[in-house]
Amino acid sequence: MGEAVKKLDNVVIICRCNDVTVNDIKKAIEMGIDDFELLRKYLRLGFGPCQGRSCIVLAARIFARASGKKIDEVLSNYRVRPPIVPVSARYFTRGAEA
Amino acid sequence: MRTLVVGAGISGLFIAYELVQHGLRDVTVVDASYPGSGATLRNLGCFRTSFTSPEHVVLLKESIRRWLQLKDRLDFEITQKGYLWVARRPETLEGFKKLVEFHHQFGVPTRILSLDEVKEVEPRLNTKIVAGAMFDPTAGKMPIIENFVKLYIEVKKLGVKVVPYTKVTKLVSRGSKIAAAETSRGTIEADVFVVAAAGDSRDIIATAGVDVPIVDIPRHPYVTEPYAKTINPALIIDWDTPGSPHMTQTKLGSFILARDLEDVPRAPLHSERVDAIPHILKPLKELLPFLSRVNIVRYWMGYYDMTPDHHPIYGPVAPYENLYIAAGFSGHGMMMAPVTGKLIASWILDGKPYIDIASNLTLERFRVGRLVKELAVIG
Ligand SMILES: Cc1cc2nc3c(=O)[nH]c(=O)nc-3n(C[C@H](O)[C@H](O)[C@H](O)COP(=O)(O)OP(=O)(O)OC[C@H]3O[C@@H](n4cnc5c(N)ncnc54)[C@H](O)[C@@H]3O)c2cc1C
Repeated sequence: MGEAVKKLDNVVIICRCNDVTVNDIKKAIEMGIDDFELLRKYLRLGFGPCQGRSCIVLAARIFARASGKKIDEVLSNYRVRPPIVPVSARYFTRGAEA
Repeated sequence: MRTLVVGAGISGLFIAYELVQHGLRDVTVVDASYPGSGATLRNLGCFRTSFTSPEHVVLLKESIRRWLQLKDRLDFEITQKGYLWVARRPETLEGFKKLVEFHHQFGVPTRILSLDEVKEVEPRLNTKIVAGAMFDPTAGKMPIIENFVKLYIEVKKLGVKVVPYTKVTKLVSRGSKIAAAETSRGTIEADVFVVAAAGDSRDIIATAGVDVPIVDIPRHPYVTEPYAKTINPALIIDWDTPGSPHMTQTKLGSFILARDLEDVPRAPLHSERVDAIPHILKPLKELLPFLSRVNIVRYWMGYYDMTPDHHPIYGPVAPYENLYIAAGFSGHGMMMAPVTGKLIASWILDGKPYIDIASNLTLERFRVGRLVKELAVIG
């Protein structure tokens, strides 16, 4: 791969909630993380307020290419966790009993 | 000697780690899913010595010592900022005083805090509704995902074979021994078998005809968006509210809020409960009013693998000579994992646990009715 592309890896952001770059993902794979769910959790992909809307598929593609796995297999354990968007605590405590 | 560990959670990996440290070469860990997929990557990452039975206090002292010892070697992140056990009622504070005396017998330096001292430790706490607190300075927290991944990479480097997506469906016995484990991807033979599969250990060991009293109880933690560092202790516990609501702030600033709520045992992992949020928030918000302004960003479920006396089950599984269990951690298996690893390794290699008191925690105790007693019951 050309030097220019390698340099880009350092600045191309995959997860905007947690500032994860292409390079962060490649480094984590090189470190020995060989499962997408472990990688995702390690880099906190999908942990931010957007719940992984933009990063998960991009990261899964990078992981699939690096590991030779199919993208469906890579994503088979991924599950969206509620709430879909951040909710204020106030919404839940109004009039609630303990 | 070929060893097969069932379950690649924090317990299984520490057992494998210690076995290799003791010179074993052929250690395999299988998991039904990916490593850490059980309770391990769903937990709050907090640890303490301030327990109420000699068994827990002695083992946790050793386990924390071992966590800190491995901190440099494995580059773990661990901080020790203490637990703040909040008493709303004066009677509870009296109970805490007895507990502190109990801890001091074991050299655990817990102490009672006056309201002024509580304010010093945690200025944001609403002391108007509080009688006092107990503080455990040995307690702390860690980013569990990072530390687990470091351990996982280390055990693989040491030559342990970690085989994911391989579910053990049956233990095959031959006389007084387990000969093999049937799995979703073929049969694995070994000389020694260790089941460290949390609540599922029950089903696995049942296939060899032995009953293990563990039941999975769902837990429902919530996490907020990150905020600047706000609270000082590793964990704040509202001891006078049923289910002891508690909260911690992660390294990146999110608050994790949780409370033990009544729930259906073994309810599937995706039985989300919206009602858990107000139940958890309301009491915590009374103590820490700023919580009414936080944004909740995520919620997940996980199981506590509970035993009848809320202590783990360690050691040999009779009548088999080569079958061991390490499960039933009842909500404390992460903090116990290093001592779990060393105990099981010593049982396998020396025929007995390297800490005597652990022999009170064998499966045998349920058969003979010698459950662990909590000497200092509070509240
Ligand atoms: C919400 C929550 C908060 C917690 N907070 C804390 C805390 O702050 N501090 C603390 O110390 N502890 C805490 N705990 C408890 C802690 O997470 C657990 O005790 C600990 O992770 C147990 O680790 P384990 O390896 O024994 O089990 P697990 O991590 O559950 O691992 C068991 C593994 O066995 C595998 N398995 C199951 N069946 C089979 C099979 N048939 N074949 C092959 N593999 C199988 C599973 O896939 C799983 O990966 C918390 C737990 C929860 C749910």
